[in-house]
Amino acid sequence: MIELLNVSKEYEGGVKALDGITLSFGEGEVVVLKGMSGSGKSSMLSLIAGLSKPTEGEVIVDTKHISKLADHFATGFRRENIGMIFQKYNLIADLSVKENILLPLVPLNLKGGELEKRLSKELKQFNLLDKKDTQVKKLSGGEQQRCAIARANINNPKIILADEPTANLDEKLSLEFIESLREMKSEKRTIIISTHDPLFFDLDFVDRVIEVRHGKVL
Amino acid sequence: MLISPEVLTIYILDILFALFATVAFIVSIKIVKGYDANATTALQYELEKKSYLASTIIKYLFFIKVPFFLFFIFTLDSISFILPGAMCGAGVINSSSVATPLLFLKLLNIYLFAYWIVLDKEDMSDETQPYMKLKFLLYLLFYILLMVEIFLEFSMFLSINTTSVVDCCGKIFSQSDSTYMGELLGLSSFVYITLFYGNFVLLLLSYLLKNRYIFALFNLTFIVVALLTLIAFFGTYIYELPTHHCPFCLLQSDYHYVGYVLYSLLFLGTFNGVVIGLHRFSVDVQKQKMRYSLAFLTLYMGIISYYFLGYYLKNGVWL
Repeated sequence: MIELLNVSKEYEGGVKALDGITLSFGEGEVVVLKGMSGSGKSSMLSLIAGLSKPTEGEVIVDTKHISKLADHFATGFRRENIGMIFQKYNLIADLSVKENILLPLVPLNLKGGELEKRLSKELKQFNLLDKKDTQVKKLSGGEQQRCAIARANINNPKIILADEPTANLDEKLSLEFIESLREMKSEKRTIIISTHDPLFFDLDFVDRVIEVRHGKVL
Repeated sequence: MLISPEVLTIYILDILFALFATVAFIVSIKIVKGYDANATTALQYELEKKSYLASTIIKYLFFIKVPFFLFFIFTLDSISFILPGAMCGAGVINSSSVATPLLFLKLLNIYLFAYWIVLDKEDMSDETQPYMKLKFLLYLLFYILLMVEIFLEFSMFLSINTTSVVDCCGKIFSQSDSTYMGELLGLSSFVYITLFYGNFVLLLLSYLLKNRYIFALFNLTFIVVALLTLIAFFGTYIYELPTHHCPFCLLQSDYHYVGYVLYSLLFLGTFNGVVIGLHRFSVDVQKQKMRYSLAFLTLYMGIISYYFLGYYLKNGVWL
């Protein structure tokens, strides 16, 4: 499903975030990437999503050499296949829950009926039905995170990438988030979570925990 | 030297064109020299990002160039009133030695930039971006032509003398003169009708043959034939005057601006037809372009024939 072949990533100024990593992730697998801040976890997610390109090596996602794709192809591929959940949610504060969740579908020009159908499913699944028309800036942290997950999930992506998803949540909300992931796992999504939150390390539905340190896999 | 609000607008737009085109030119040189799709260097990623910038600039240059060309024609027409002797844009063109080459260069550049847009679209729709270097290499050439166009445009407006008497279109396009123009205008109606409808029939036949090179070739000849017959023959039916051969007066309100429609149809039709000879498209796109070409040129032929046959039906005589 996802392959990283001898991947290195060096940023301007000679900072090496990843150093010759070779890894693969199977379909429907849930993998936790653990490591301290600056270990290279986020860079790895960014490469898998095609948001940045490796300095060396190749990234293949669902048979696509995403690291070789031009930006507009990578964007199209990401839109159709990848859902992203960020530490700071990256929601648009002044838009409503409904508008935020539907954002990834805007370029697809879907008909109103289909939009409503998909929206209702997400609102129900992530317990946001009564917040549908509320501006996201008026939501609690947990609600915002659920809204972000619903947005990542709305285009039925094969892959979910979560970058430090519980860093801004308390334990109760973190456990709620973990339950949402469990549901997504049951939908056969491949899920990669980058985190240093110990709550994730012993979960029954997590297939592998990989430690990343100084840009290398231990 | 001539300054009017329209001319000043042209100067300002030309300067902006030159600035943005130069930015795209510098990026194009870097891409032509350093682009390597297989490389994973920082330079390669920078060039990939910058290729979007250059493409966007070139696309905007074209999208502004088309209405800008119409504005240029409009300007020629509007300043004709301050040149002694001129009645329309033709008189202004005649007042400067660089105006005729400028007009042809402007037309050529529109075709070339339109071709670039098509090539860019093909390139962007293929994951391997096979025309990346070619399209920017071509732009280096187009840039030079664009700069020559801008230089000629400045030269033209700066060289116009508003106190000298110039010829009006009636004199420039007169068949009584012993010039090439006079000889061309003096041919018999039969020659023009045969040329125009004959070329159109050949276009239809080549469409049925589905041969892209033949179709492109007859589109190319149609540009010349359509313009020649419009000036020499069909235009007289639009003006309803056998001695009026001007290609500019068609753009005036007296004739319901029909010239803008005719020239636009001619450009859209012939461009879609010629471009399939220059570039191998997928079968579906080629068919679509052939259909577009034929549709636009059929409309052109229909409008021209409407004036020509309409005059006969209305008056019972030919001009």
